[in-house]
Amino acid sequence: MTTPNLFRGLWPDAASGVMALGAPRAVTSGTELFHLGQRADHFFVITRGRVALTLPMQIAGREEGVLIEERLEGETIGWSALIPPHKFTLTAVAQVDGEVLVFGRDDLLQFLSQHPTAGYTIARNIAEIVGERLQVFQAMWLRQMQHLVELQTGPARVQS
Amino acid sequence: MEMLLTLVALSCLVTIVSAVLFAAATRDVRSQVTVTDERLGDLPPHVFAGDRAQGAAQGVPIEVLLLQIERHVRLEQAAAESFHRAPTVQALHAPTTSPLRH
Repeated sequence: MTTPNLFRGLWPDAASGVMALGAPRAVTSGTELFHLGQRADHFFVITRGRVALTLPMQIAGREEGVLIEERLEGETIGWSALIPPHKFTLTAVAQVDGEVLVFGRDDLLQFLSQHPTAGYTIARNIAEIVGERLQVFQAMWLRQMQHLVELQTGPARVQS
Repeated sequence: MEMLLTLVALSCLVTIVSAVLFAAATRDVRSQVTVTDERLGDLPPHVFAGDRAQGAAQGVPIEVLLLQIERHVRLEQAAAESFHRAPTVQALHAPTTSPLRH
């Protein structure tokens, strides 16, 4: 498995120490790892498989979980466990059979209090993960707004 | 015999009154439901994405629509991630093959 994005840049000792905190858990296709609104005490690193992050949408009078993002091996999901108010803001469902490492927030914070340098690296990684998501969603939002404008005014021409 | 006829007549009267009241009550509900804001008539079509989605949902099975949305999200996410890696105006507006966008 590639180094999880949350633990990238750690010294080997710190990386192996923090990885040892994770409990492996096999998941089958359709397994819900967490649900929107639940208390977030654990986060997950995908070691094998693919996980869909969904939000509920009303379609023809039915509530459907609509795909918002997909996450793959080596990626971290459920980082709401590390950021107040510690509530999941999405629902995560395994799309195929796979495996995740489950990390408890308290275990990680205790480890990091003893390894502050690792804590600094992980805090930077969290900022990178959250920042990337923000920028990607800003772009997706702008593209959707552009689409709505084009429905009213016709196709836009991008100036170079 | 007279008493029996009186009872039958009263029963018929009660039934007719009940039917009239029921019909009136039902007509009231329908008229309340169909009340619309006249300002909506001034709006151009397709102001919101929901206008189109509703039309699509009527003709397309929900499962197919969900698959279309999934494909759309994957394509849009990939386009947005390309913009994140190399932010330019062209990358921000790069077209995709999503049927929900064009």
